[in-house]
Amino acid sequence: MKKTKLGEFEELVLMTVVVLQEEAYGVEIKRELEERLNETLSVGSIQSALKRMEEKGFLTSEFGEATQKRGGKRKRIYSATPYAHRVLKEMKDVRSQLWAAMPNVATS
Amino acid sequence: MNNQSKEIRPPRWSQRLLRFFLRKEYLEEIEGDIDEVFDDYLEKYSVKKARWLYSKEVFKAMRPTLTKRLIKTEKLNYLGMLQHNIIITLRGFRRHKTTFLINLIGLSTGLAASLLIFLWVMDEKNVDKFHEKDDRLYQVIKNKVYPDGIITDPGSPALLANALIDELPEIEHAVTVNNSGGVGSHGILTYGEKSIEVDGLFASSDFFDVFTYPLVAGDPNRLLTTPNDIVLTESLAMSLFNTTDNLIGKDLKSHRKLMNSKVITGIIADPPKNSTVQFDFVINYQTVFDNVDWLNEWSADGVYTYLTLKQETDVKAFNSKLKYFLADKPDQEGNELFLQKYSSRYLNGEFKNGLPSGGRIAYVRLLTIVGIFILLIACINFMNLSTAQASRKMKEVGVKKVFGVKRSGLVTQFMTEALLMVLIASAFASLMIASLLPVMNTITAKQLEVNLNSSVIAPIIGAIVLVVFLAGAYPSFYLSSFKPIAVLKGKLNSTFGDLWIRRGLVILQFVISVLFISGVLVINKQISFIQNADMGYNRDNVIHFAMSIRNEDDRKSFLNELKTIAGVINATYQYGGSIVEMNGAGRGFSWGNPAENELIRFGRPQVGYDFIETLGINVIEGRSFSRDFGDESSKLIINQAAADIIGIENIVGQTIMDGDLEKQVIGIVENFKMRSLYEKMEPTIIRFVPQGWDILVKIHPESQAATIAKIQEIYDSFNPIYPFSPSFVDDEHQAVYISEQRISTLSKYFTIVAIIISCLGLLGLATFTAERRIKEIGIRKILGSSRLKIIMLLTNEFGKIVMIAILIGLPLSYYFTSDWLDNFAYATELNWWIFTLAGVLSLAIAWFTVGLQTFKAASVNPAKCLRNE
Repeated sequence: MKKTKLGEFEELVLMTVVVLQEEAYGVEIKRELEERLNETLSVGSIQSALKRMEEKGFLTSEFGEATQKRGGKRKRIYSATPYAHRVLKEMKDVRSQLWAAMPNVATS
Repeated sequence: MNNQSKEIRPPRWSQRLLRFFLRKEYLEEIEGDIDEVFDDYLEKYSVKKARWLYSKEVFKAMRPTLTKRLIKTEKLNYLGMLQHNIIITLRGFRRHKTTFLINLIGLSTGLAASLLIFLWVMDEKNVDKFHEKDDRLYQVIKNKVYPDGIITDPGSPALLANALIDELPEIEHAVTVNNSGGVGSHGILTYGEKSIEVDGLFASSDFFDVFTYPLVAGDPNRLLTTPNDIVLTESLAMSLFNTTDNLIGKDLKSHRKLMNSKVITGIIADPPKNSTVQFDFVINYQTVFDNVDWLNEWSADGVYTYLTLKQETDVKAFNSKLKYFLADKPDQEGNELFLQKYSSRYLNGEFKNGLPSGGRIAYVRLLTIVGIFILLIACINFMNLSTAQASRKMKEVGVKKVFGVKRSGLVTQFMTEALLMVLIASAFASLMIASLLPVMNTITAKQLEVNLNSSVIAPIIGAIVLVVFLAGAYPSFYLSSFKPIAVLKGKLNSTFGDLWIRRGLVILQFVISVLFISGVLVINKQISFIQNADMGYNRDNVIHFAMSIRNEDDRKSFLNELKTIAGVINATYQYGGSIVEMNGAGRGFSWGNPAENELIRFGRPQVGYDFIETLGINVIEGRSFSRDFGDESSKLIINQAAADIIGIENIVGQTIMDGDLEKQVIGIVENFKMRSLYEKMEPTIIRFVPQGWDILVKIHPESQAATIAKIQEIYDSFNPIYPFSPSFVDDEHQAVYISEQRISTLSKYFTIVAIIISCLGLLGLATFTAERRIKEIGIRKILGSSRLKIIMLLTNEFGKIVMIAILIGLPLSYYFTSDWLDNFAYATELNWWIFTLAGVLSLAIAWFTVGLQTFKAASVNPAKCLRNE
């Protein structure tokens, strides 16, 4: 793969960002992932993954509108860069190739 | 719900934590996120749980990617600056090699000297501190109140310890240990064929509960339980048995009844070097009680009494209870008791009129001050050289300031310079200490070593920090205060004040040097005065040894045989050990009305025939003891001082009372003095004894070795108990003042160090001045100034400073040295020449130092120094 590595958890967060589109901000990503993974996540873990990926160039972000709900604090909406889409695609390809190459072992 | 959630606030301290640690640029977003989650929790859980979960979220958000860098990015610049500072400093060192070397030598010598002193002082202060119960271990001391003053005496009656335990509940243990006033504990122990001469202690059974001497073998509860028990030190066990194993229960024999048939109950480690009490064995004191009747009386001051108090006893209150403890005891009326801390005996062992008057602590203080002064002088050098070279630094400071370097940055730079200098100097100092420690140990007769434990390292680091601060603070604040415009124009606004601070520091250095020089001169004069003092008898070529011949008749014939040796001039005997430390002044003489004079104390040596002749004491009137008159036990010889006190005219031939016995005075001799010169000349009454264990032999100055060998031959032929071990009375006399001698040697070396460091500073200043005025010198020479004129010009400035220092230093020296000499009953005189010499020496040293430099500067070829520009 590329020099810039994408960790497993980061990949999940990144895909969630893509899924959520306009709604992709910290707490929403957390809710979505918690539901899908069926486990509790902390704001801190999501945020640090987001910041790391932004640093690596997978994400861009901008402040959204201020809302009443968060005590007047603005959300930051994340969106995936084309580079991120490419990397996600590559990872999916690598995985499906590997799946295809795997002998048919019983998975009982 | 909304309303409610607004009232319920998240925990405040977690919020603060978040705001403090989180990066500013992330704070709004993440705090918003956590707040939103908090609202969710409030809907789901109780307020308490929601708040708890909030805090948990905050903690989980404390990740390196999200929090502020504790080491800020700016810190990298600091590192860069540090690197820059170090480079600049090292370049400076390389460029100005003289300054660097002067600072290096000065600081490293200063550090090494003061650390050596520190090691010595620590060692002195640790003496006797190793006992576990040190904080409540005391010795009972007695003040004997006489009409003419109080005599302090550490000896107490052997009955005291048990009486104290019975009557004073604050005491945990009280033990009795013999001293030379009671029974001696010197003798020979024998096991099988092997006999060894030993020195030990007789001590009460709970001796080892009071003092800490680690047990190597034996049952700690059964060490000194019966009168026949003996405990050996490891080294005695090794020399007797070549092992320390399986010795418990073995019997030891001795020629002395008190030491005979003892059963070994334990082996202890040797007393450590820093113990004032050194011994080979301990025997239960009970054996002395059983065999020596007179020690069972209150009148006998034959032991030392030590005790430990129970935890948290008020010593002051206890002391007031103890004070009159002896009031109702027979023969001890009027004597008062008090406690002295066991571990303070060594340094504070002297008493004047019943009150502590110091002792060795004076030397410890003296050297501590010397150490501090040496370090101070070295720091002053560094300060002076740094500030004097301001002109070298001013352009650098100006340019840096123009580029926006803050003052704190410059201070850091100069402090770095000082730190680096001190660190390099410390490295050199450790090398010096490593190589000088053996020398120091020879001089002080100690086993000092550098143990790198916290009690040594902490003060060393402290000293280094202090030196860096002392040496670096003033220069860095001074140098960083330059105004950029002025210094870049080339104007150094060195004010009158700055100059005087520099001069003041040099003056201080030389005042200290003058003090040191005159101090050393006075100490040396006093020591040689004491060592060569006329004691009223002639101690040259007199040897002294303890005779231990069992048979009474043999002892008489031994003396007669000695006199047949060609090299022997005279031989006599006396009683009570070496005459240079003979003890035993006391009362008990009376005449006329006894009530008026029976309390007056006299020295009262007990001597034999030929004593006066052997020691060359002059007889003023009457005669000395003589064999022609047979047994002279009922005769007395008095010295002039005693004759003056007794005051009877034509006393020779008359009688006075010695206790209950009437004795006739047969002669008056010139005053002579036994014991230390620290005490006053005592009136002395010489008594006659038919027997004595101490032999004094006056021998011919030539072929002394052969004479002594012959004496030994005769001695050995009488089958003595102890081997022959002679010493010259003069050496014994010198040995009394050995600690003064050592301090004097030490202070001499450290004074030299201090003077060298001061001179280095002066040399640096002179070099620099000459360098700065080199153009001026060139021009003066072209205009026809002579070399001498230029030397005068350059030296005058320093000459003046040193003169001022001498003027301040001499009165101070006079004050301190005369104060010191007051400690001695026999003090040398303070002559004017001492101080003149000290002054002239300081001036000469200063001129010599400066002179070399100025001569070099004055010899410069003007063409060369004026070529540039």
